[in-house]
Amino acid sequence: MYKVKIVVVCGSGVAMAMHAAYKLKEKLEAEKLSVHIDGSGNNELPGRIANYDIVVSNVQVTVETNKPVFNAIPLITGVGEDELVEKIIVKVKEIQAEKSA
Amino acid sequence: MSNTEDTTLANFKIDEKLILVNESADSPEEIIRKLGTLLFDNGFVKDSYTQAVLDREKVYPTGLQARMAGVAIPHTDTDHVLKPAIAIATLAKPITFQMMATPEEKVQVEIVIMLAVHDAKLVIPVLRKVIFILENDDALVAMKNATTKTEVKTAMLKHIESMNKKVK
Repeated sequence: MYKVKIVVVCGSGVAMAMHAAYKLKEKLEAEKLSVHIDGSGNNELPGRIANYDIVVSNVQVTVETNKPVFNAIPLITGVGEDELVEKIIVKVKEIQAEKSA
Repeated sequence: MSNTEDTTLANFKIDEKLILVNESADSPEEIIRKLGTLLFDNGFVKDSYTQAVLDREKVYPTGLQARMAGVAIPHTDTDHVLKPAIAIATLAKPITFQMMATPEEKVQVEIVIMLAVHDAKLVIPVLRKVIFILENDDALVAMKNATTKTEVKTAMLKHIESMNKKVK
């Protein structure tokens, strides 16, 4: 199974991104999805984005990309979290289907 | 005396000296300066910290709408911090902050939790517990209703204790 690579972005890539990344990892692993999740600072993102399939961000993503970008705030406030996780799950499955086609 | 002493959580200070209750401020800048002054006067941050938080807030605003309250969590890079701490203000009247991730949106903030982090990796479990307060309805309500520094501190400590099993 293709391991979908997700990067969670915040201003400096530490506190907020790591918190959201840990939470997302728990949720996706509970669904038995094969994913790899990293945190990143917004400044490092241009150099790193090529390695990822999905971007989840606490900040406005300034780099231009055609990759799917999700707003990470529901993972931080808990408001709308289930809906966000559901959307990411759909996207992860879509990418896995594409990669194995 | 014991309940007013400093509390160390992985060397993270939640100290009544760093708490403001029902504070009046008209802007994010004003409340960030007040909390920054407390952190500086008590030796937790360098004199560059407050300006660095203000600069970061412009680029990466930190307003968040939780279920029970608008909360802002201003912070900045580790270079400006000497010792890790959390400064907390509850506001007499809400202040308009820009929202994290969508700065074109505004949020009415009632609680400001300012983080001073000297080594993110070292304190990330404590930080995660603190950030989880956004999802703890009882803790946010207790904090909003608090009339003393002790009540604010107790609400935060009780919340963190409740997280000890969830976050390692």
